[in-house]
Order: sequence, then C-alpha cells, then structure tokens
Amino acid sequence: MGIRWQHIALWIAFIVVMLALPEFVSKGTLRTIIFANFLAIFAISWDVLSGRTGYISFGHPFLIGIGAYTSAILSYRFGFPVAASIPLAVVATMIGGTLFFLPALRIRGSYFALVTLAFMELMYQLVQVIRPDLTGGTRGMSGIETITRGAVNNYYLSFSLMVIIALAMWLVMKTRLGTALSAIGMNEESVRGSGLDTTKLKLAAFMIAAFIAGLGGAFYVHYLGSIAPRALFDINFLFTIIVAALIGGASTIIGPMIGAFFLTFLLEYLRPVLPGAERYFIYGGIALILYMYQPKGIYEVAKQGWGRLRAVRAGAGP
Amino acid sequence: MSYPLELKDVVKRFGGLTATNHMSFNVENGESLGLIGPNGAGKTTIFSLIMGEHRQTAGEILCNGEDISALPTYARIGRGVCRTYQIPRPFAEMDVLENIRLGLMPNSIWQMLTRNPDRYKEIELALSVGFSENDLNRHPAELSMGDLRKLELARTLATDPSIMLLDEVFAGLTAGEIAQIADLINKKREAGMTLIIVSHDLRSLEPLIDRAIAMNHGSIVAEGSFAKVMADPDVRASYLGGE
Ligand SMILES: Nc1ncnc2c1ncn2[C@@H]1O[C@H](COP(=O)(O)OP(=O)(O)O)[C@@H](O)[C@H]1O
Ligand SMILES: [Mg+2]
Repeated sequence: MGIRWQHIALWIAFIVVMLALPEFVSKGTLRTIIFANFLAIFAISWDVLSGRTGYISFGHPFLIGIGAYTSAILSYRFGFPVAASIPLAVVATMIGGTLFFLPALRIRGSYFALVTLAFMELMYQLVQVIRPDLTGGTRGMSGIETITRGAVNNYYLSFSLMVIIALAMWLVMKTRLGTALSAIGMNEESVRGSGLDTTKLKLAAFMIAAFIAGLGGAFYVHYLGSIAPRALFDINFLFTIIVAALIGGASTIIGPMIGAFFLTFLLEYLRPVLPGAERYFIYGGIALILYMYQPKGIYEVAKQGWGRLRAVRAGAGP
Repeated sequence: MSYPLELKDVVKRFGGLTATNHMSFNVENGESLGLIGPNGAGKTTIFSLIMGEHRQTAGEILCNGEDISALPTYARIGRGVCRTYQIPRPFAEMDVLENIRLGLMPNSIWQMLTRNPDRYKEIELALSVGFSENDLNRHPAELSMGDLRKLELARTLATDPSIMLLDEVFAGLTAGEIAQIADLINKKREAGMTLIIVSHDLRSLEPLIDRAIAMNHGSIVAEGSFAKVMADPDVRASYLGGE
C-alpha cells in the first residue's frame, strides 16, 4: 500500500552509495558513520513509539541499557556466544521494558515522559548497586567480545543492521498499524471512538520500539567492547536520540536517519572547537531554530525544496 | 424482551455535580429517539456513559439485554453502538479517506499488518455521506463545519453500527448542510438503524424522530411524542428559564 517505484529506487540508490562509501572516505569518517548508524537505529526506535503516538519516552537509554547489559553480561560473565546473547538481550528488553512501561502507557502527556525518565535514572543507580560482580558497578565492563574488527567491517555491520531495521519499519509503518499509531498521536479519543483498543496499539508500538532498542543496544555493546553506566544512562545520550528523531522528521523513517547523520557530524565537527559538553548547547540551539522554521524537520524542508525546484524547472521548461 | 439499548436508574456524579440523576429509558429496534433539553442538561454525558468514556456512578446500561457497564469503549463499538461528537474530532494530518480508514480498521494488530485498507469501501462511505470526489484527499483544516460533521458520520458509519448516537448534528451548519445531513439520517432510519439524536435545532429534529425525551438537571422532564413533549409546561419552563 502506497509504495511507489520512486521509493524503491531511492532505497536502492541509498544502499548502493553507502556500500561503496568505504572506498572513498577515511577510517575516521567511517567510525563517525558507525556511530550515526547506531544513533539512527535508536532514533527510529524512539520514533516508532514517541514520534507516532505522541507518548514521549525519556526512557530510551533504559531500554537500550537492558539490551546492552544483558548481552554484555551473558557473553562476558557466562561465556555465551554473541549469536545467543543478542537474541536473549532483545527478549529481555521486550519483557523488562514492558513490565515497566505498561503501567506508564496508561498515563498521558508529561507524566509519561517523567515516569520514563525516572526509569533511566533508576537503572543508572541499580546497575551500580545491585550485583556489581555482574554489571561491573560504576566502572562497567571492558574487553567484551566484539563481533568483528576494523572500521570497514564494523561499518558494514552497523549499516546492514540499520538499513534492515529501517526498511522493515518503513514497510510496517506503511500498513494500517502505522496509520493507527499516527492517529493516536493526533487524537487518541477518536481512535478509541473508531472501535480500536488503544492500549493494545500502544503496547504494540512499545514492543516494536523495545525490540529495536534491545537489538541496537546489544550490537552497540559488542561494537564498543565496553560498557559503563554513565555513558549509557546519560541525559545527553537521551537528548541526542530525541533531537535526532525530531529535527530529522518525526513520524517518518527517513527523518530519524537524516537527523542521526546530521547530529553525529555536527557534534563531530564541533568537537575541535568545543571539546566539552557546551557542544550540546550549540546543537540544542540549532535544533530549536530548525524546529521553529519547520517543526516537521529536515526531511520536510528537503521535500519542499525539491518540490519548489521541480516547479521552477517546470516553469522554465519549454 | 430486551432493547437495543436500555438505561436502568443510571447516576453520574462529577464531584458534587450530578450530571445524570437516576435516568431510566430505552430505545426500541429501529426507533429514532430525540433527546432534548437546555445546555448543561446532561445529554452529552448520557452518550459518554453509553460509550464507556465515562463510567456511571450507579445503575446499569444494557445493550440487547447484556450489561455493558464494565466494557471498554472498543468492545461497545464492537457490539454495534457508536457516537458522533458535538465538536468534531478528526485526525488533523490525515485526509478524508484516511480518517474513514480508522473507522474501518479491525481491532486486530495482525489484520492491520497483513491486510490492505479497502479503498473502495472508504470511497463508498465518503460519497454516501455527501462528499464529492474532489474532497477525498482534503484535510480537516480545509473542510467546513458541515463537511467535518459528514466526516465524523462517515468514520462512525465505518464501524458498522446498528445504534448511532448523534450529538448536536446540526450545530454550526448552513441550511443546505442541515438538509443534507437530515436526508442522510432519514436514509439510515429507513435502513433500520436505531438512533438517539441530540439537537438544539428542534425544527430540524422533529421530522427525524419517533419519540422525544426532554431532560433537565440530569433527569427526565417529559417523554412521548414530539408534540406532547413540547406542550409540557415543565419543558417550556426549562427552555425559557434555561441558562
Ligand atoms: N468531565 C466532566 N467533568 C465535570 N463536569 C462535567 C463533565 N462533563 C460534563 N460535566 C457537567 O455535567 C453537566 C451536564 O453536561 P453535558 O452532559 O455536557 O450537558 P449537555 O450536553 O446537555 O449540554 C454540566 O453541568 C457539565 O458542566
Ligand atoms: Mg452536549
């Protein structure tokens, strides 16, 4: 439904360019793109839940953290192969996340955001206190098994993961499920008035978001080879995910991808100028200006620009 | 004998305010019932209680003999009851057909994922409430109040109801739009739909109903034929002395 050949062509062109990229760019740039790929995964996950339904999650690092920690502990402490620890981590994220989020899905608006934020902070505290022999406490763990070595291999791995998730979500969101989730964001009462069980729909959105966050978190920890609570359950990390989805274009798939790449490179280019956390002020400012100019994000700006270009060409043509 | 819809001694309090005060009434199969009364009489609250958007403080609501008081809204809609709102509530970023699509959706995630929307049915519903083909891809912001009410009717009809609760269907409409909506309601009536209609526009309401209930302060003031209810001195008083 609603899939046009232009869309398919764009996806293919994008994949071809990205696969050829290691031939043209430096290892350093590839490492930056690897982070962008993971950020895109997290932003897509956030968007499935929050961008569509309007239930703003401040707890995404919590979900990513369950995935990352579960896989890290299983592989590092208990010698599980990655092929087993990652799927188990995804299941743990879906179950653990549901236990916490399910009561929260019944509360609306800012309370939902606050409650989910509390989960993140709670997780941060718990990880350090409960069984530090497993979690590594405040210092975390390092020397965790990596899936592959080198910038090029990790680039291909993270890109494949990102593009598979993006394509799958693109297809899922094209179905009536995607329509219903967006409708919840516009008017939840009317969705209920249309005979639909919105709790079930929100739970579905949440399960999909948790699946992606758990998968991304687990792969991420096996890319980094280390994990520490402060890096993960961090407000800057949380805002990077949310801002990526919002400035790219919430309620789309390509939006969070664009946003993730834009932000990652922005932060990277700001690094020599502003090495500290002040960078986040700059991107906050840029995000705000972009948002004021076009609340639907960069994707919308690009779409309108493209439309205008075509109109100009058509006007100037014979 | 069971009725499509029956209220038994229903009470609804909002804090200290009694919006529904021991209301009992029923509608018969295929009947069209008019619910009238001044602003704040408690008409909309009755609809919210029937749909399960608010829960009654006491009393029972029966649908075809079954007590539906504990059921969530979607389950009541699944039993064929549906309502429109005084203030239309469209999905702002969706066009007319997509709005109707929501009403047509099955309450099953699996079917949402695996079956395509029935575009044919969407168009048919849109045209049946009086949209023209040019309107199908319009967004709510581009629609008149009359069109918004039509859209809401279409989305409600999409859930395939046998009982429709229509709240202030004529409010904010032009004479032409009123005629169009009245025509539509009449068609549904002829097709056997059971209706409860709330309207301030009594002249437009009169030909559409079999029976009227007048209420004030959450209680029934008079009940019977439209002429009989309008002749009732208490009803006259409630309108004249009304807010
Ligand atoms: N959600 C609510 N909370 C508190 N009071 C309400 C609520 N809904 C309705 N009321 C009150 O109940 C009374 C009946 O309202 P309503 O059913 O909307 O009347 P009507 O539709 O007949 O104009 C009014 O006094 C109104 O202020
Ligand atoms: Mg009302």
